[in-house]
Amino acid sequence: MSWDKVAVVGAGIIPFGELFDVGYEQMARSAFEACLASVDHGVDTSTIDALFVATQRGTLWGQEGIAGNTVPAAIGLNGVAATRIENACPSGSDAFRVGAMAVASGVHDLVLVVGVEKMRDKSTEEGLLARAASGHPIMTRGESAPALFAPFATRHMHTYGTTREMLAAVAVKNHHNGSLNEDAHFQHAITMQQVIDSPPVCHPLHLLDCCPQTDGAAAVLLAPAERAADYTDRPVLIGGFGVATDSPWMHEKTDYVGLAATTAAAKRAYSMADVTPDDIDVAEVHDCFTITEILDIEDLGFCEKGKGGHMAVEGITALDGRLPVNPSGGLLAKGHPIGATGLAQITELWLQLRSQAGSRQVALRNGIALQHNVGGRGSGVAVVNILRGVT
Amino acid sequence: MAGSDEDSLTLAVAAGLEAVHHGEVDPTTIGGLYWGTARPPMAEGPTLPMLAAALGLTPGIAGLLASGSTHAGIDALTAAWHAISAGAIDTALVIASDALSPALGSSGEASTGSGAAAWVLTGDRGNARLLRSVTTGRPVLDRYRGDGEPATRDDYDGRLHREQWFVPDVAAIAARLRDMAGDTASGTAASTAAATAAGRPAGDLRWALPDPDRRLGRAAVEAAQADPDAVVSTTAVTEIGDTGAAAPFIGIIDALGVAGPAAIVAHGGGRTTGLLLEVDEAVPGTDLATALAASAPAGYGTVLRARQRLVPDSETVPMGIPPGSAMLARETDELLRLLGARCSECDAVSTPPSVHPTCAACGSPKLTTTTLPRTGTVHTFVINHTMPAPFEAPLPIIVVDLDDGSRTQVQGASDGSDIAIGAPVRLVLRRYATERGVPIYGYKAVVTGQEG
Repeated sequence: MSWDKVAVVGAGIIPFGELFDVGYEQMARSAFEACLASVDHGVDTSTIDALFVATQRGTLWGQEGIAGNTVPAAIGLNGVAATRIENACPSGSDAFRVGAMAVASGVHDLVLVVGVEKMRDKSTEEGLLARAASGHPIMTRGESAPALFAPFATRHMHTYGTTREMLAAVAVKNHHNGSLNEDAHFQHAITMQQVIDSPPVCHPLHLLDCCPQTDGAAAVLLAPAERAADYTDRPVLIGGFGVATDSPWMHEKTDYVGLAATTAAAKRAYSMADVTPDDIDVAEVHDCFTITEILDIEDLGFCEKGKGGHMAVEGITALDGRLPVNPSGGLLAKGHPIGATGLAQITELWLQLRSQAGSRQVALRNGIALQHNVGGRGSGVAVVNILRGVT
Repeated sequence: MAGSDEDSLTLAVAAGLEAVHHGEVDPTTIGGLYWGTARPPMAEGPTLPMLAAALGLTPGIAGLLASGSTHAGIDALTAAWHAISAGAIDTALVIASDALSPALGSSGEASTGSGAAAWVLTGDRGNARLLRSVTTGRPVLDRYRGDGEPATRDDYDGRLHREQWFVPDVAAIAARLRDMAGDTASGTAASTAAATAAGRPAGDLRWALPDPDRRLGRAAVEAAQADPDAVVSTTAVTEIGDTGAAAPFIGIIDALGVAGPAAIVAHGGGRTTGLLLEVDEAVPGTDLATALAASAPAGYGTVLRARQRLVPDSETVPMGIPPGSAMLARETDELLRLLGARCSECDAVSTPPSVHPTCAACGSPKLTTTTLPRTGTVHTFVINHTMPAPFEAPLPIIVVDLDDGSRTQVQGASDGSDIAIGAPVRLVLRRYATERGVPIYGYKAVVTGQEG
């Protein structure tokens, strides 16, 4: 039986992009406002009794490292119980899970989860690329973000005959979806040839196989399921969730054609929600790189291991396909402001399950959607949340 | 030229491992490590124990790091020889290596190479014997590098150096060696008979003569009154250039592969030394041609980068190397020794041990330290093109299946064009980064053949 103890009663994001003219705190406030605007019957903000802030990188110039301290006052919730959540790329989706548990426990009633990330207050070199020099003095040296996923592409191509075109098809699909999303970082379509001809970033991945560096924020409001009607007539229930871990070391993967953390997190989430992969109508999955979406849809059980490369090529994961994947444009087109990413995906699914997604609305069969993030060193953390629309 | 991630220490490791392998000695039984180099990677620092660790020698091993001039290799050899003669140790590993950095615009730019050679010395066995040595010295300046200076200067007055010191000293030392060998000319019937009667070696001396600038070598041959055909060091000088402290050892290699007497004349740092050896039978591991065959042409930019004269000019990212930190104290030894932790429960190997208090496969805390093999095959890889300076792209990063069934991740030492899944690789010590003057060493993979 589906868990269904906690409802999403509001969700909103800010337009993603390189937001050089707004700061970390301003993005958090704008996401909060967008979330409040989505609550059908409105909400008295003084009744919000807990805040979880997802920010992955506490390494900018400001005070985002202590976001549980700095964000409440900045967004107009001074005094609220607040905590920063960091759990690698799934930080946002894990903050969502923690928020749901806080509500379900009865300790808190109305919980705001805000994800906010400033990726572009530092130069690319000093920001994301500097990761190549962080971590272990030898074992992780040179491991910028694409170097954590490219080994899987090399091996997947070797083992299953996955091609550059199959990778490129994922980017083409997600950029098409992004062109329909006015909040996406990139709102233009691209061609397969453009992906293939783009410069190499980390062999075998090229520039358009990679998500951009994006500033952004998203916020979600959670309430006990039995009180959801106070806020909305069309809540989205949390059917289940799963989180799982795997070794952070790249040389300790069981194999290099799948992400073990995703498989384990999905198994827990499916069990908790009492659903199977076949029951999912639409999914927002972690496509930081094209290969990642291919690995994800295999690891989540949407297709047989090794067949993931065919799904976008054959249109199965397109908006009008059997299983639309990343209707928002995904990380590849919408962008990947890390702490905000999971909550932005949940916002997309909130819109889809309420049939409010406009030109990128997908067909609903069961009213069940899946959200997924994976990341960290060695893709060692994954979170899966399963959502259910109420009609 | 060595690569931009190589220096006198990584070259010393490569040569030392070869010598230990060919000498068929257990590294843990070696009593002394004697290393000579004009340019250790740190002017002051723990370079000798770093070398000992990378070679798998005992932590408390005796020995020394000789430096200060290109005579350092001979100094290391002499010290090891004396230690064995005095009975202090039974077996010594002597390594001479250099990766000199000549001044931009100097004549040394075209004549300087890099290289290393290593000998295993024992008191009582071996295919060749050290017989005699003789040294002369003068407190005068030839090539030098001032304290804190990055590059080696040319002789101030090359002709003065040649006429007043080099030629007279090489001539005097060579004459002494010929006297010692009882080989006054070059293999006349009379001298051979005399030598045989005196119990001295029969046959012509083969010579390794100094040639620090690719010009003085000709003067040295004349000064030594050596038959040019008997000078075996010419090939190395022609192919590699002057290898500093390693030059006498690389120069004599071709003579060590054939029975008979051999003579080394080494010059540097104001001193000239002669060594007389007798090769009883071919010394294993003396195949210079094979060592030279692996070379490839390099442009001037590559050479400057390798000599650490071409460095990023603008912002670089911190490489996160805290010298002398607790973290590096925990990790340096295991990284240099290439250690893993073998699980007593499931036999899996987790590496490196300090980040694995429990087995990566089964979680058991029952682990014993093991040394990882240095050969394996490529499991998967990437070639990273996008990193901030001081990283150099393209940089391969390779997951390697090691021959004992364990797995590790290392950087590749090439530009990646030779890497494929399944390709056999060998792990070699290279410099991963340098910050605050501190080099950090780790293993990199070199592809050793085609995919099979």
